[in-house]
Parts: sequence; structure tokens; C-alpha cells
Amino acid sequence: MEGFLIGLAAVAFGSLFWPVIAKRNSVWAGWCSAMVPLGIFLWLLTQGGAIGAGSFPKWSVEWVPQLGVTLGFRLDGVGLLLSLLVTGIGSLILIYGGGYLKGSPQAPPFFAFVHLFMLAMLGIASSDNLLLLFVFWELTSLASYLLIGLSHQESAARKAALRALLVTSAGGLALLAGILLLGAEAGTYSLVALQNSGDLIRNSSLYLAIFILVVLGAFSKSAQAPLHFWLPDAMAAPTPVSAYLHSATMVKAGVFLLAKFLPILGGTEIWHDVLTTTGAVTMLLGGLLALAQVDLKRLLAYSTMSALGTLVMLLGLGTELAIKAAMVFLVVHALYKAPLFMIAGVVDKAVGTRNITLLQGLGRPMPMLAFAAALAAFSMSGLPPFVGFIGKELLYEAQLNATSYAVFITVLGFAANAINVTVALKVGISPFRRRGTIPEINPKARKPALLTGPLLLALAGALFGLFPNLLGHGVIDMAVRDIVQRPIESHLKLWHGLNLLLVLSGVTVVVGVLLYLFQNRIRAGMHLLLERVPTASKTFDAGVQGMVSVAASVTRFFQHGNLRLYIAVVIVSLSAIITASLVSTGWSGPPQGGPMRLVPLGISLLTVFSGIAAIRSRSTVMAVLAMGGVGYGVALLFALFGAPDLALTQVLVETLTLVLFSLVMRALPPIESQTRSSGRRRITDFLIALAGGLAITATLLAVRGAPIPEAQRISTEMAARSLPEANGKNIVNVILVDFRAFDTMGEICVLAIAAIGVAGLLLGSGRRNLKAELVIATPLFRTAVSWLTPLLLFLSVFILFRGHNEPGGGFIGGLVAGSGLLLRRMGNADHPFHAPRTPLLFIGTGIAVAVLSTLPSIFLSEVFMKGVWVGALWLPLVGITKFGTPFLFDIGVYLVVIGVCLLILTRLIRSETPKSLSFP
Amino acid sequence: METIIILLTGFLFTCGFYLLLRRNITRLLVGILFISQAANLVILVLPGLGSGVSPIIQEGQTAPPPGYPDPLPQALILTAIVIGFGVIAFALVLLKNAYRDLGTDDLDSLKNTDV
Amino acid sequence: MFDLMNPFPLYLCLLIPLGAAIVQIFLLGQSKAQRVVAVGSTALLTAFSFALVAAVKAHGPVILDVGGWAAPVGIRLRADMLSALMVAITGVIGFCGAIHGLAEVPISDERRGYHPLYQFLLFGVCGSFLTNDLFNLYVWFEVMLLSSFVLLAQGGSKSQLEGTVKYMVLNIVASTVFLIGAGIIYASLGTLNFADIALRISQGQGSVTGIRLAGVFLMLAFAVKAGLFPLYAWLPSSYHTPRYTVSAVFAGLLTKVGVYALIRTFGSTFSAHQSFTLPILWWVALLTMVIGVLGAASQFHVRRILSFHIISQIGYMALGLALGTAGAISATIFYVIHHIVVKSNLFLAASVIDRIGGGEDLRRTGGLYRAAPWLAVLFLIPALSLGGIPPLSGFWAKLALLEAIFGVHAWFAAGIALAVGILTLFSMTKIWAEAFWKERPENAGERRPIHAAHVIPMVILTGITLLISFYPTWLFELADIASRQLLIP
Repeated sequence: MEGFLIGLAAVAFGSLFWPVIAKRNSVWAGWCSAMVPLGIFLWLLTQGGAIGAGSFPKWSVEWVPQLGVTLGFRLDGVGLLLSLLVTGIGSLILIYGGGYLKGSPQAPPFFAFVHLFMLAMLGIASSDNLLLLFVFWELTSLASYLLIGLSHQESAARKAALRALLVTSAGGLALLAGILLLGAEAGTYSLVALQNSGDLIRNSSLYLAIFILVVLGAFSKSAQAPLHFWLPDAMAAPTPVSAYLHSATMVKAGVFLLAKFLPILGGTEIWHDVLTTTGAVTMLLGGLLALAQVDLKRLLAYSTMSALGTLVMLLGLGTELAIKAAMVFLVVHALYKAPLFMIAGVVDKAVGTRNITLLQGLGRPMPMLAFAAALAAFSMSGLPPFVGFIGKELLYEAQLNATSYAVFITVLGFAANAINVTVALKVGISPFRRRGTIPEINPKARKPALLTGPLLLALAGALFGLFPNLLGHGVIDMAVRDIVQRPIESHLKLWHGLNLLLVLSGVTVVVGVLLYLFQNRIRAGMHLLLERVPTASKTFDAGVQGMVSVAASVTRFFQHGNLRLYIAVVIVSLSAIITASLVSTGWSGPPQGGPMRLVPLGISLLTVFSGIAAIRSRSTVMAVLAMGGVGYGVALLFALFGAPDLALTQVLVETLTLVLFSLVMRALPPIESQTRSSGRRRITDFLIALAGGLAITATLLAVRGAPIPEAQRISTEMAARSLPEANGKNIVNVILVDFRAFDTMGEICVLAIAAIGVAGLLLGSGRRNLKAELVIATPLFRTAVSWLTPLLLFLSVFILFRGHNEPGGGFIGGLVAGSGLLLRRMGNADHPFHAPRTPLLFIGTGIAVAVLSTLPSIFLSEVFMKGVWVGALWLPLVGITKFGTPFLFDIGVYLVVIGVCLLILTRLIRSETPKSLSFP
Repeated sequence: METIIILLTGFLFTCGFYLLLRRNITRLLVGILFISQAANLVILVLPGLGSGVSPIIQEGQTAPPPGYPDPLPQALILTAIVIGFGVIAFALVLLKNAYRDLGTDDLDSLKNTDV
Repeated sequence: MFDLMNPFPLYLCLLIPLGAAIVQIFLLGQSKAQRVVAVGSTALLTAFSFALVAAVKAHGPVILDVGGWAAPVGIRLRADMLSALMVAITGVIGFCGAIHGLAEVPISDERRGYHPLYQFLLFGVCGSFLTNDLFNLYVWFEVMLLSSFVLLAQGGSKSQLEGTVKYMVLNIVASTVFLIGAGIIYASLGTLNFADIALRISQGQGSVTGIRLAGVFLMLAFAVKAGLFPLYAWLPSSYHTPRYTVSAVFAGLLTKVGVYALIRTFGSTFSAHQSFTLPILWWVALLTMVIGVLGAASQFHVRRILSFHIISQIGYMALGLALGTAGAISATIFYVIHHIVVKSNLFLAASVIDRIGGGEDLRRTGGLYRAAPWLAVLFLIPALSLGGIPPLSGFWAKLALLEAIFGVHAWFAAGIALAVGILTLFSMTKIWAEAFWKERPENAGERRPIHAAHVIPMVILTGITLLISFYPTWLFELADIASRQLLIP
């Protein structure tokens, strides 16, 4: 097996290497690169004996053990058959493609993707792990997508590539689901193990699901009706691609998969019915649609579809005979279809058209091509002594011997075969017959590289016809054996004697020739018919279109752009899940609370009035006043409930916010000027808001129903450790700068970010409308300020120092200092006392000090941010204060806050012209 | 007492939500402020309000006076207030710029960046 | 024994971005120096975040009690494998963003404080991942959010302003909800430390009503930040508007902080209340997947398509979380890491599409396949990975999730997950076909040159994607460790 893996590696490497060569000389690249698959082909032939004897080459190593994915390879008879096809035809395709794409920019990507594809196909043929097989399976879809899109400038090619990808990978996902179900049911992803536990699967309750999913995957890949439509469209790919992927190999992957799954899923009624029916319908439909075509490649594509239907039907029949017929037909089809495709490509190159009604007379100028075409066409028509004849005889035999619907199947098979004869005549014979002048031949079409493939394959078709047991006793036997899972003995014979089969064959040819002779009328009739029926292709496109437009309307519905509705959705969602939560748990008791106090009650009422005023306000002034009312009301409540730090901060912040608000409001139009929402909308909004408010109220009451006892809270421990361990009497401050100093670190970062952000937004805005009003340069104000500022600064330092033990601290101190500096700034616009950069330096230094204050502890006590206390000092007005890094930290906060005040407010009220200002 | 404050909080949320749902940028801002204030009250009221004394250890004592309110929520609120201030300051100026450059303070006409 | 060596990388993962932010403030105006610091500090962050992952792998979770106050009194920083992985990926994305920024961010933005803000953003993100304290998480969320507001608005175009307004308002509302949730937790359980919360819940402390209500608020807040249905509206309104560097970093990291918080709270801390939260999350996740991908399928603008994809894939992650099994959470973590790498890469690719193709509107761009075949490869790998094509990283992520879903016989969800996969592929191929395969149309914008700094981050990220693709085991191992640590804290 190592030889095979080295081959795989060489192919994988080739997808990177050969494009480089192909860029210089694609013909050369073709011949050289063909040696790799040829080598694998030969290696595979050497394995025939071992596989025949039942010792299968194996190799396995873990890849993703967590998911059960093993790089497990195992080559059995079916795998060998497919691998031989892939490498044998592959090497010829490389030669052909190198010649076909000479000088085209498509050559390098062709080599890249074809090698990728070859790798994937060999992987499918040899994987034992189903998930690994799936990896390769999807890779073939991807390679096919990229190859169909080689002519990517044309929108038709892009569309065709997309269709193929969507259908095959949708099928692929179904297959994946099937595989996962199998894995869940049988506990293994190993094909061999699964094949040995077929009964378990067939009796499982999930059998039907597994069956449907796997079969969907196989059908999409092998173009079974009604998933066939991507295949004819895939003819947008360059001909070498069509010959390789879309006739000889990739489309066979689905059939291969079914063959591999036959021991696991086969033998049931549904397997038989679904596969036989679908296969038969596809077989006939492909043939009929082929009759309507004039393009060589599309003609061949539909006949490929028909052949794929035949294969699936045979696998559905599931008898040993049918399997044998399927395997033989698989090879037969590849041996005639690939050369016919290649010939079609040469013809196209030679005269620039693939229209069969225009093609004629190519036999004289291209005799060798005509010879190859004739061989392939005879094989396709099922004439002796070609291998196609053997295939057709077996086919009829299998159909006639079917356990049920034998007649029905045989009749359909007969029709398909007759059409095959017609197609063979149209493609392999008609273009070479002379009916008029001999056409000009493009010399580019005369290359050995273009002839080698078709000729060799067509000759092989004749050879196997004459010596059928070269095939029969070798690889076919092994393949059939490994599908039916028991030893078999087959004899392929050219001559069965004069019997019903031979008669059928003869009649088939006659009918086929008749169909050929009346082709124009038939085609016209088919066209008339097709215009009236919805085709699968149109249906699919309409489906995609429909999906996109549904997607668009759904998206417009949810992403409507109206911010208010987005907010409403958040509020409604919140209310809904709160309700659900409360319903699920019930109430935990009446809300607990302390005794009613009158003053807070009064403040609360005032706050409520402010709220109502805010809602009802129809003017900016009212709104801002109401906002202040609520803010100060809350501050008073803080003060009343024993939170002096909070109250102080809230008052200062509220004031600052109001200042900011009024500064900004100057630039905004007053609320009065705006159109109101409709009355109905206001009511809806009010109801939404009310729902949200009620839900939150209910939440709070419910939580108050059973708050955790104080003794169990972490704050109890904080209160106990505050003074002895953190040297602070103001527990809130200690929490801020010591217990939870890390929060504060984030908090000053937020301030810094906000300040930088505001400054950035205001930079170079070109508006200077705030200057006149806000610079109060009256002498009185200046005098007042010249006293006030130092006073405020002094006060701020005082607040900072006492913070650790009394209400105060860095933040409050910073705000006081900031407002002092601001006042000074407002009174003295002409002589700014600080450079524009200064606020930023304050901020940067502040954060740096805060960070630095955390460093000593790292060196002293190996802990990040631990307070390190250096001693105590008596300070006037403050008293004895202990100094340590938490205090340093607070100084950092102080500096940042000053910087932020200066930065935000000076930007908002600055009087300099924007040009002279640079940020920083 | 807690129940009263809870009702007040719920009321502030209702007002805040209603204001958030208005067309006007200014009222939107007031709405944001309202719900931030209300959220701060939530943190304060839920663990209980205490008897009105401050969680500060008096001279010569080692523990705060009895009936002191939980200090931790206060610290959390303080952080939240400051963060809220930073956010509001930026939001204010951003909305000002938005009005200046987009030419409208009507939220219903801001529909150009969605689908 | 010098105990510092253990939490040392954790400490540095916070100190580096913070220190860099301070330095960047002082360096304002000195563009060159700032750029050096930007790249250097993010490189350092990446290095130490990897060291953190290694430390966690070797010795288990790394713990640092800030201020020496043992949890739950103090704030505990704790890097378990999930946190360490998230910080590591933050380092990588931060580094790639810093490099891309060299080619994109103009001096005018630098003068407006782009560099310190960028570092603050990373600081906030790392802080969110490393803290083990609920309220502290709120603080880092805010650091991250506010810097993201500012970065989003930088450049000042109309669409940016409008996008920022929506992004900002919805996120402020969500933050308020978060704050209420934290308040309820404290009132009900008396603690804020995650481990302590989990412990107290498991001991039966606190009222079920209160804890569950707190869960409701936190879930809603995180759902908004993560971009779950129906609360994601801010994301598609804004992510396509700012500079590509900024949107790439946002797309990779920010929603994932929300997802991280969901995992942290509902995958671990609140696991006792899963019977209520997980079914909700389950349906929300399915809806998110579907609605998100429908959005992507309907768009014609590269970054809008990618934005809707973020939502759709957040749905996958939430689904994994909603499953709640160890395997599913491990799959989710794998998914998150894969997704961050791929998504940031695609947003950077959008930048290249814009420059070479002449625009982001697929109807007015094209010709990249011919103009820059190697860039096509750099786009195709993450794009196919996102589409779940094997054996790329996205396939493993989806496979792991699917196996978890199949493991609990959730057929409906499995069907949705698979169907969404097809639509994902559909919309990714739309970008490929229109921007790369199609010829450059007449009405395309001007073609602008690209620099090494545009390409290097894409190469790095694509390299990581390939590493995860072909050798996914290591990431699965780490994800398994992470999910085990989450479930047994």
C-alpha cells in the first residue's frame, strides 16, 4: 500500500508543481505528468493477484482521533477497478489536456485542479474510513467546481460551476448526515466493519433515514433524475475536463458509493425499488433528452446520464448478474465515452464548431481520428466484436432476469440502447462522413497529444471485446466478489449463441439507425415538447432565485435599519424571558425591606415628577432640566442611604454631564422643531416601555424576596479586613483602590478612551460656534477665578488625601481640580495656560502612575497590585494618613480625571481656530 | 423602603425605555442616561439600603457602625457611574457629529447602512 | 519558590497592551514610533499568550489574585485553557491587524489616537478573557466597547457615523442589562467571583428565582454582544463601514467575547440552571443560523455578506453551547478559534478586493483571479474553510459539532446545520465568482496598489488555517482540555 500512498503524494505534489511547468509548456507538462498516474496504474496492476487472493492492501494511521477520522486506506476489488479507471484514463487525459490547452491561460489551473481531482478520486476509491471518504468526496465537488469555471470570464460557465457545486455538495451534506447516522448506529466509520454488520444496519430504526441520505448523496453525484441537470451544464468546462470528470470518473463516484454500500444497505425492498426506478427513469430520460441535442458535448453528456441511470438500475436489481453487468458496463462506458469526448474536443478545435448539423467530411483530413471515432462508436452501439457488445448482452440478460418488473425494465433498456446507437452514429460516424466540401482544418488540432488518448482507449475497447476474459477474470471478478461479498466465477463471452439476447441486440441496432435517419424530425419534436415542460434546470434556477428573494425579504424584515425598532426588540425580548423565568420559578416571597423613611420618599416623588416631565417635555430645555432633576434626585438618595462617596460623585458627574449636554445641545436642533411620532406609535412605544419597566420591577421585587443574608456576602469580609489589612477607614474607597483596584484600572482606561475619542471627533470639525458664549472674559469673572482656581485645586488635593478614610478620593478630587482649571480656562481664553498636549500628558501620566503603583508589590511580595505601605504622615486638615501604593494608585486616578476634564471640555469650548490646533 | 425605591427604579426604566424609543436624538440620549441611573439604583437597592449610616469606620473603631449599608455595591456603582460618564460623553459628541454630517436628528431617517 | 513565574505570562498578557497604550499616548504625533510600538507590542503579546497556553497545558489553570486579596474578596484573574486560547488568538489577530494597519490607517486617524485606542481595545479584550469576576468582566467589556465605538467612528464618513450610532446605542442598552444582571447576582449570592458563584449555586445558596433572573439578564446582554437572533441588528449595520483593519479585528474578536461570556456563564458557572437557559439558547441558536445565512445570501457587498456570516456562525457556536455536553462545548471552542482566524482573514481579503477590484460591491468589482492569482488562493482557502469544505478547518469545526448533535439525536438541528452549510457555501462562492472569476466591469472603481502589509497578515492567517486544517488534533486536544476545565471548575 505504501506504493499507492507515494503515488497519492506525488499526485498531490503535482497539483502544485505541474502548473508551474504548464505555464511554460503545457504539452510537455502533459506528457511528463502523465507518467505519475501511469506509474500508479502499473502498480495497481501488480496488486491484482493479491487482491484476487483476498489479501487487501491496507494502511492506516490516526488523523483526528477525536472525531473518529482515520487515514485508513484499503483497496478492494471495486476500489481497484475505480483506481485503474482514474489513473489509466487520467494519464491519457493529462496528455490530451496538455495538448488541448496549449498556450491557453487555462493550462496551469487545469493541471492544478485535475491533479487535485485525481487525488480525490483515488482517495474515494481507497478510503476505508467513511469520513475520510467524505473528505475526498467533497474535494471532487470542489475540483469539479473549479474546473467547470476554468472559462470564468463567461457568466454561463460561472453559473454552471455554481449549479454543479450546489447540487453535488448538497448531496454531499446528505451523505455526511448519512455517514454520521451510520457512525452513531454502528459505532464505527470503517467501511469494512460496516459491511460486516449490514444486518444490524438494515434492522435499525434509522435504516430508512440512512438509506435516503446516502442515496441522495450518490444520486446527486451520479446525476440521477431529477438531480441530473447540472451535468449537461457542466459541459461549459474545457473538453478534457468533461471527458475525465463528467463522463469517465467523477460521475461514477456515486455508482461506486452505491456499490460499496450495497453490502451495508442493499438487499431491502426499498433499495431495490428506489434504485431500479430512479435508474430506469434516468436512463430513459437521458436518452430522450439526448435526442434533442445538436451540440456534440451536450449530446454526450445526456448519453452519459443515461448510462449512469443504467448503472444505478443494475445496482438496484442487486443480483450477481446485475452487478457483473454493472461493473462491465462501467468499464465499457468509460472506454468509449472518454474517447468520444476527446474526439469531440478535437473536432471542435479543428473546425470551430460542435454542432452536429454542421459537421461533416472530417474523415479525409483526419483519418486516424476518424478511425478512433469509429471504434468507439461501434463499441457504444454494442456491435460485436467490441466490448460494448458484451456489455449490452450482459445488460439485457440482467434486465430479463430481474426478479420483478423485468419486462418494464427491459423495454426501457431497449429504448435507451437504441438511442445509444443513434448517439454513437451522430458523434462517431456522422462528422467524418463526407456530405459536402472538405472543411479547413485548424493545424492546432493535429497533435499527437490529442490523438493518443482517443486512439488508445478505442483500441482497448476492441481488445477487450476480442479477449473479454482479460477483463472478466481479473478486475471484474474481484469487484463483483467484493460487492456481493462472496466468491464468484464469471465468464465473459463475446458469443452467446443465437438466442433472445442476440435478437434484442440486433433489433436495437436497427431501431437506433432508424432513429438516426429521422433525427431532424425527432429533434424538432423534442424541442417543441421541451419548450412546454418545466425542466429540472429551470426549476432549480427558479428555486435559487426564490430562495434569494425570500432571503432578501427576510433580511429586510429583520434588518430594517430602524434603530428604534431594534431597541424595542431588545426590550420586548428582555420582558419576555423575564416573564418566562418568573413563571418557571415562581415568587420566592414578599419583598423584604427596611422601614419607610419620609425624606427619601419625598425625594423619590420628586424624581418621579422629573421623569414624567422628561417624557412629556416638548422642549430641549425641559428635557435637560428633567434629566438634571433625576440625576440630582438619585444623588440625594445616595446621600440619604449612606453613600456619601456616591452622592458626591453623582453630583459632580451629573453637573459635568449637564454642562456637556448644554454645550452639545447648542449644536443640535431643539426637540420642539421635530415632527412627533403618530399617536398610535406613541401608545405602542409606551406599552413596550411599560412592559420593560414592569418586567424589571417584577424582577427586582422577586430578587428582594430572598436576598442573601449579609453574613454570607463577601463585603462582610471586606469590612472586617479594611482597616487592619488595607489601612483604610472608608471601605468604599478601600474597595476601589485596593480590594477591587483592578476595576478602577479599567475605569480610568474608559475615561481615557472617552477623552481621546471625544477629542478625535471634535478635531478639525471646522466649527467654532461656541467661542463667543463661553469665554467669560469679564474682569470680575477673572478676578473671581484667580481666587477660585487655586482654592479648588487645594480642595482637590485635600479630597484626594482624605479619600482613604473619609468620603473623597482620586476621582472626586480630580473632578474638583478639573473644574477649577476649567474655570480658569474660561476666564482666560486669550492666554491658554496649557498647551493642547497637556491634557493627554495628564491622562498618560495618570494611567502610568496607576500602573507603576502596582509594580513595587511584584518585587516586594511577588503579588500583582498588592498594597505596599511605606509609613504614615500627619497632614494638616487631614490628620494621620498612611502612605502606600494604593494611595499612589489614587493619585493616578486623580491625574487621569483632570486630564479627561480638560481634554473633553476644552475641546468643546475651545476658542482657537482648528488650523492652529493640532492633536495632540 | 426598598419597595418604594424598586418602584422608582422601575418607573425610571419605563421612562428611559420610552425615551429610547423616540425619534429624536436628544431624547434618545436622555433615555440612555435614565436607564444608567436606574441600573445604578438597582445595584444599590437590591442588597438592601441599610439604616442611613455610611460604611466608614469611625475614629477608634475597627468596624463600621451597625446598620451600615453594604459597601461593595457602592463601589460598583461608583465605577459604573464613572464608566457611564465616559460613555455618555462620547455618545453626546458622536451624536452631535452625526447630526452635523447626516443632517438630521430624526432616528427614523438613519436607514442607510442596513440592507 | 518564587511564585511569580507561574502567573507571569498572564500578567504580561494584560500589562503589554496596557503599557503599549500608555506609550502610544505619549507618542501621539510620532507616527513612525507609534507604528513600531504597535507591531512590536502585539508581537510580544502573541509570544506571551502562547507561553500562557503552554503554561496552562503544562500546569493547569494559571491564577493571579489582584492585590493579593484571595478570591472571592479580591478580583481573581484566572487563565484556564479557554481563556488562554482566546488570549492567544487575540494576540494573533491583534498582530495581524497591526500589520495591516500599517498599510491602511492614515495619519489623520493616528493623530486622532488610533494607536492607543487599538491597544486599549486589545487590553479590554484580554481583560475580558482573563478575569474571573463578573463585575470586572463588565469593566473590561466597557473598555473594549468604548474603544470600539471610537475606532468604528474614526474616519468620520457618514455611513460610519450612522453605523456607530446604532452599534453604540444597542450596546449601551446591553451593557445596562449586564449591569443589572451583575447586581442581581450579588444580591442573590453575595459574591461576584465566577468560581464562587458556581460553588454557591451548587451548594444551594441563594434563591432560585434570583439566580435564574440574573441568568436571564446576563444571557440577554451577552446575546446582544455576541450577535444572537433577534438582537444582532447592530452588527450588519456597522461592521461594513469602518477601516478594514478595524472591521477585521472586530469581526474576529468582538462578537466572540460575547460568545466567550456565554460559554463562561452558561457552559460553566450557571450550569445548575441549564434546564431553563439551554432550551432558549437552542432555539435562538437555530434561528440565528438561519436568519444570518439568509442575510448573507441576499447581499451583494463583500463585508455585508461576511457580517451576516458572522451572525450565522455565532448561531453554530451557540448551538454547541446549548447542547451542553463536553463534546459539544469542545466543538464550540474549536469552532470559535477556527472562525476567528478565518473571519478576520476574509475581512482583510475584502480590503484587497476593494483595492484591486475597485470596490466592495460585487456588481462593481471583479477580475482579481487574473490580476492576482496568489491572492485568489489566499482568499479561497479561508472562504472554503468558512463554507465547510473538507479538509479545511471549518469542516472539522462543523463535523465536531455535528457529531455532538447526532450524539443527542437532535435531527432537526442537524438538518438546519447542514442546510445552512449549503447556503454558506452559496454566498461564499458568490464573492468568489463575482470578485475573482468575473472580469473587471466597466463601472468598477479605480484600481489601487497593494503593499506587503496587506498580504502578510493574510499569509499568516491562511497559514494558521492550513495548520488547523491538516493537523486539527492539537487544537482539539486543547479544546478538550478547555471544555473539561469548564465543566469541572
